[in-house]
Amino acid sequence: MIARRQQAGANPRRIDARLSLLDRQVLDADRVPVQVVGDLELSHVSLDHPIPPGTPAPVITALLSGPVLATRIFGGRPPTSRLHRIDWADVAEIDVALSLSVRGDTLDVTWVERWVSEHIIGRIPGGHSDPQ
Amino acid sequence: MNKLLGLALGVLTAIGGFLDIGDLVTNSVVGSRFGLTLGWVVIVGVVGICLFAQMSGRVAAVSGRATFEIIRERLGPRAGVANLAASFLINLMTLTAEVGGVALALQLASSIEPWLWMPVAAFAVWLVVWRVKFSIMENVTGLLGLTLIVFAVALFLLHPDWMQLATQAFQPSVAPAGAVPEAGTTYWYYAIALFGAAMTPYEVFFFSSGAVEEKWSIKDLGESRLNVLVGFPLGGILSLAIAAGAAVVLLPKQIAVTSLSQVVLPVAEAGGKLAIAFVLVGIVAATFGAALETTLSSGYTLAQFFGWSWGKFRKPAQAARFHIAMIICLLIGLGVLATGVDPVAVTEFSVVFSAIALPLTYLPILLVANDPQYMGKYVNGRVTNAFGMVYLVIILVASLAAIPLMIITGAGA
Repeated sequence: MIARRQQAGANPRRIDARLSLLDRQVLDADRVPVQVVGDLELSHVSLDHPIPPGTPAPVITALLSGPVLATRIFGGRPPTSRLHRIDWADVAEIDVALSLSVRGDTLDVTWVERWVSEHIIGRIPGGHSDPQ
Repeated sequence: MNKLLGLALGVLTAIGGFLDIGDLVTNSVVGSRFGLTLGWVVIVGVVGICLFAQMSGRVAAVSGRATFEIIRERLGPRAGVANLAASFLINLMTLTAEVGGVALALQLASSIEPWLWMPVAAFAVWLVVWRVKFSIMENVTGLLGLTLIVFAVALFLLHPDWMQLATQAFQPSVAPAGAVPEAGTTYWYYAIALFGAAMTPYEVFFFSSGAVEEKWSIKDLGESRLNVLVGFPLGGILSLAIAAGAAVVLLPKQIAVTSLSQVVLPVAEAGGKLAIAFVLVGIVAATFGAALETTLSSGYTLAQFFGWSWGKFRKPAQAARFHIAMIICLLIGLGVLATGVDPVAVTEFSVVFSAIALPLTYLPILLVANDPQYMGKYVNGRVTNAFGMVYLVIILVASLAAIPLMIITGAGA
């Protein structure tokens, strides 16, 4: 599977999605870790019918995370409602880690982090102070 | 001058930070049963941890990536999850042993039952992880840990028969003069335990994540290499001094090491109460420092594997899952200790399991240290790779032999 880099101004470069996208760290616009790429969402791939010749190649539409680790190991797929998407358009750069052009705390995928922060860690004295 | 002071501080904390409960107990046990005949293993282990720590530190400084991020990227989900499970559980076991070690050392100092000290120790560990700046935490425990030099001083005060110690060290045999003859398999079982104690994997998680915490860059590489290459071997000499002290005092009287009081017995015989005071400060500092490192390592491994925000350089509320994971791990460790299990026994198992898990962390680091996408022109040189391959073989052999030897010898009984 080949992903084409869609960044404006950069030369298109061929990368192996399995090697350079899956299981890579995703950083937000402030370089804060967001998630690891659990899986990729591809556009219009029909699984049950043979693909007619001349069909345009599928493109990556989103980075997925959620309960995908178990299904990647043991097979099957989780229901779509359990998956968190990060739009491929929000991916700014692909290097050893993927960088986003948006802030992590605006994304659905960080809700557990926000919940733990607001309800537990943030309530312990000193939770909001710098460790310096 | 400031630069020189910084370098000295780095080396000193590396010496003090090298020893933990695993090194203390295992060297003492081995010294009391085999004399210095297993001294060569400490040297093999120290060279190994120098190689391994230096490589993971370089990967972290150049690519900004800590060990467990790389493990998942390199091994994929299947092998990555297996690796996480094994490394995390062994780290949790070491964490339990270290918190228990703090409590045992405080018991020796105060005569208050260790189970009363355990919650205090765990709470203190959490408080430091929660509030104290990373570099202060490292320097204070490292410098206080230096008081363990009293083990080396005690060895001189004991006026040992140096020739006999040298014979044991340079002409290793399974049954040195004056010792109860042991089976060959027991000898090799303890060789693996000693190797695991010197090369505990958590030191690598901690070292590489610490490099990210302290924002190392390429220009810090020289300094970090010096800390490792000078500090760790000097720490290894302290390990040997512990074994030698046990060989001089405990071995002839056939005293078995089953608790911390036997570990410090040679020091007490040589230097009396003052020496005991020093050694207790050192043991509390070393085990407390290691308890901090293993607690942080449990957070690092989980957060890096799942891609959570982590690090002591962030406010806790901005690395919430990282902090909650550490709190839960400390509570689990405390729960295990509350069952009344002997921390010394947990330690003895944890070092052997560390040896078993070594290839899991070692191999990915060796691969990435050779990958130009991460490392640019700072990939491993030929000499490092030659050593790297030799150690890969040693680590694999130790890992594969550990469980059969554990079964045959009844865990070294």
